Amino acid sequence: MAYLVLGLIAGLAAVERKGFLQAMLSRPIALAPVAGWALGDAAGGLLVAPPLELFWLGAVNLGAAVPAHEALGTAAIAGGAVLAGRALGTGVTPEIAILAVLVAAPLAVLGRRLDRAMEGGLNERIACHAEQALAEHRIREAIRCNLYGLAAPFALAAVLAPVGAALAASLIPRFLQAMPAAAAPLRLGFFAFAALACASGAKALRARAAPLFFFAALAVGLAARLALRGSGP
Amino acid sequence: MTEAPRVPALTLARVFWRCLFLQAAWNRRGMQNLGFAYAIAPALRALYADPARREEALRRHLGFFNCHPYMAAAIVGGAIHHEEQVAAGAEPGQGPLAYKQTLQGPLAAVGDGFFWTALRPFFGALAAVGGLVYGIPAIVAALAVYNGIHLALRIGLFRAGYRRGDALVSTVARLALPVAADRLRAAGAVLCGLAASILVVRAGAAGGPPASILAGLAAALGYLALSRGARLLPAAYVAALAGVAAALLLGHLHGSG
Repeated sequence: MAYLVLGLIAGLAAVERKGFLQAMLSRPIALAPVAGWALGDAAGGLLVAPPLELFWLGAVNLGAAVPAHEALGTAAIAGGAVLAGRALGTGVTPEIAILAVLVAAPLAVLGRRLDRAMEGGLNERIACHAEQALAEHRIREAIRCNLYGLAAPFALAAVLAPVGAALAASLIPRFLQAMPAAAAPLRLGFFAFAALACASGAKALRARAAPLFFFAALAVGLAARLALRGSGP
Repeated sequence: MTEAPRVPALTLARVFWRCLFLQAAWNRRGMQNLGFAYAIAPALRALYADPARREEALRRHLGFFNCHPYMAAAIVGGAIHHEEQVAAGAEPGQGPLAYKQTLQGPLAAVGDGFFWTALRPFFGALAAVGGLVYGIPAIVAALAVYNGIHLALRIGLFRAGYRRGDALVSTVARLALPVAADRLRAAGAVLCGLAASILVVRAGAAGGPPASILAGLAAALGYLALSRGARLLPAAYVAALAGVAAALLLGHLHGSG
């Protein structure tokens, strides 16, 4: 049942991402908590949401460019992390989250390849079908063709996200049970990934003075934290 | 020439709703052509009672079209404005096509530059920082504000296109979107830096000062590597595995000390 729910959410997110609306509902920051909530652990989804959002902040459709399929990657990572956390009885921890990223993030790249193939193959055939329908004076059919394009992105994400989550949910508990000493180093691996994700976000913003703003804010944030700690009891 | 027929308000609302499906069947050949034809179809039905004329109008909107999906709402509105003139005999059938061809490129550039590389990343970063500090309510608030802005602009552009036709350009120019985009990008970079500082502190809480230093290095070296063309996913694996290796090394040194 959990995989069906995850598939449905991933499919809808894949549609919202490009085919309909584009209101940030399929972005990692929204999708990961929703996927976590649907699987019974919204807090688990929330743990991975900010790093994944910043990591894929630059994943946008500019012109004909096809970006990484961040929605597919996020659904698989959040789903896999929540299901692995449930299997271990710990909820999503940083070590589970980073393992889920390492296992399922490549799905975002696979999703991009499939998107490209779909837009160059299936959707072109739909366009030809629409032109043919109009040539045969079937106006309604020619108009309706647009909606046929929603089916394939939905189906691909609805199948691939649960597969990625299932892979993560099966590998992660086994790994952590076999190597419990790996938990602490993996926790640091999570923070290293999350910090890199912030850098990726700043880089994606393409501001002229982005490095200056990024490093200055990092320094000011740390200084403020140190000052608060210093003034504490 | 007859008086220009008007598309009813309810039909315009229907067209706007259909604009949200503009990229449903995005394809390499016609790009958003199917979406454009799908969106404008209810207006064509209202303007052309004669099926032959309606089919001819639909055919001209099934040609190549590509624009930013939010900004395209303005062009759909403007195309309806021109179709009303065509239906009244005040303009040749090429009018709406010329309008689309003239505006799609410039508006795509403005939309990509403002919405995709500034407004959305800014709110993504804002929601991420909010999520780190305040949790889900902050994410919901950030997304609600983003969608308030995005939908207001999308609806406003559609109305401006429909009401003003060719004068749409001055409406878009008045919005000064490129100036706002520059500020949003800078603010977004600041938010990413703040997010990094929060994570560096949390790393310290989880693994002590060496973990903080490690996370800080990941942010700094990661930025430099990505600026020099490193690919994102391999960089993520390197950062995560370097973090694991450093933690193992520190543990080993600590154990042997």
